[in-house]
Amino acid sequence: MNFPERLFYSKTHQWLRFLDDDKALVGITDYAQDSMGSLVFVTLPEVGDAVQAGEAFGDVESVKTVSDVYSPVTGTVDAVNQELLDTPEAINESPYESWLITISDISQKEELMSSEEYAAYIKEQN
Amino acid sequence: MIKKLRWIETLNTYPYKNLAMEEYMTTHNVDEECILFLWQNRRTVVIGKNQNCWKECRVNALETDGGYLVRRLSGGGAVYHDLGNLNFTFMVKQADYDVNRQLQVIITALSLLGVHSQQTGRNDITVDGRKFSGNAFFRKGDFRFHHGTLLLDVDTEQMARYLNVSAEKLSSKSVSSVKSRVVNLKELCPGLTVEILKEKLVEAFSQVYGMEAVELTEASFPSYEIQRLTERFESWDWKYGRKIPFEYSVESRFDWGEVQLQFHVNQGLILDVVVYSDSMELELIEKISDVLIGKHYNAESLCETLDELCEALKQKNFRASASDVLNLGTSSLQAIITDLKSLIRDSM
Repeated sequence: MNFPERLFYSKTHQWLRFLDDDKALVGITDYAQDSMGSLVFVTLPEVGDAVQAGEAFGDVESVKTVSDVYSPVTGTVDAVNQELLDTPEAINESPYESWLITISDISQKEELMSSEEYAAYIKEQN
Repeated sequence: MIKKLRWIETLNTYPYKNLAMEEYMTTHNVDEECILFLWQNRRTVVIGKNQNCWKECRVNALETDGGYLVRRLSGGGAVYHDLGNLNFTFMVKQADYDVNRQLQVIITALSLLGVHSQQTGRNDITVDGRKFSGNAFFRKGDFRFHHGTLLLDVDTEQMARYLNVSAEKLSSKSVSSVKSRVVNLKELCPGLTVEILKEKLVEAFSQVYGMEAVELTEASFPSYEIQRLTERFESWDWKYGRKIPFEYSVESRFDWGEVQLQFHVNQGLILDVVVYSDSMELELIEKISDVLIGKHYNAESLCETLDELCEALKQKNFRASASDVLNLGTSSLQAIITDLKSLIRDSM
């Protein structure tokens, strides 16, 4: 399983790539996509929506399973990856290129982990 | 590890309230407890969270018959419920969530009744390849539920009537249902009733987890909270207004000519409708399109709108001079509107 070093990780299995101090891309980790299986549908928020650290901003559906997707930070949705609505399976194929949204004006962050810490966290979870 | 088993049944058959209770119990569950909820819905079609209801269900026929359309929290395809169907929900937190073990409860209950069933790759349960239990799943943080149907003595004619949609001309990026051959358990186990099945499920639940299951009652749920959740499941926005845009084209040939209606819908509202007809005046085509745009995508309200248009045009025909009205007699106008209404009713 792959957890790139330049990214940060949340306990709810999202990755973050900071573009700036208060702006980041958010996606689903390799572990999360793998445990959910083939994704068939993605629900995303709209540009301008507020997101809260620790609260759901969307959901994904794999084989008959709907799972909420949580925001690791508080901020405003700056961009939405519309392409995923047509090709949710891209998340399974390349989870770290398939960002879901960008969040700007980040004011609050959940506890974030490095790639090494996240790998240890997953090990402990299982 | 599971330390406590609880089970609960309800006499309520109003589907939105059952889903509300299910959600409430799921999101208020505690560690190391597994709850088994047994419930039934009166005439209802339940669609998956990310489905287009018009693509999966003949909504207008269902609602005209007094049935309910329900959008659930879990994924997957459309199913039909009536009182010949028993639903089960396992509610348990992530650490103790185990789909195979939960399905084992169902398979064990069936074997107590002498029916030997198998789990499929899609986590459904079948006997000789015929499905009697469809299952779906929901995760919210650490909270989990796994629920499914048990076809006991379901009216399969009604099931086919509501679920067999000829919607090949509906294009939508929604999750599609997978058709299955189904079987009613009563066919395999004559004399089986909902009561007996419930008893066996509770017995199998205890057997599989190796401890007594204690009964829970719904009297302990805060009614305002159940009411709030029920209202969300009942709401137009939740049922029809989800952001799942689609295009739908319907056509028919009538005595007066051919017509095609192309609807473009999002969040349950008609964003655009294009009317094609070689035998209708352009002015009438434009008027029909104008009155339908912005309306809820609901057969009865669209028919009402067309009736109003028809009346308005008749008045105009009667009063105004021939130059600014349609070159159409009131009887042929009435015939066109009546046919369009039946086309709309049949296709939704």
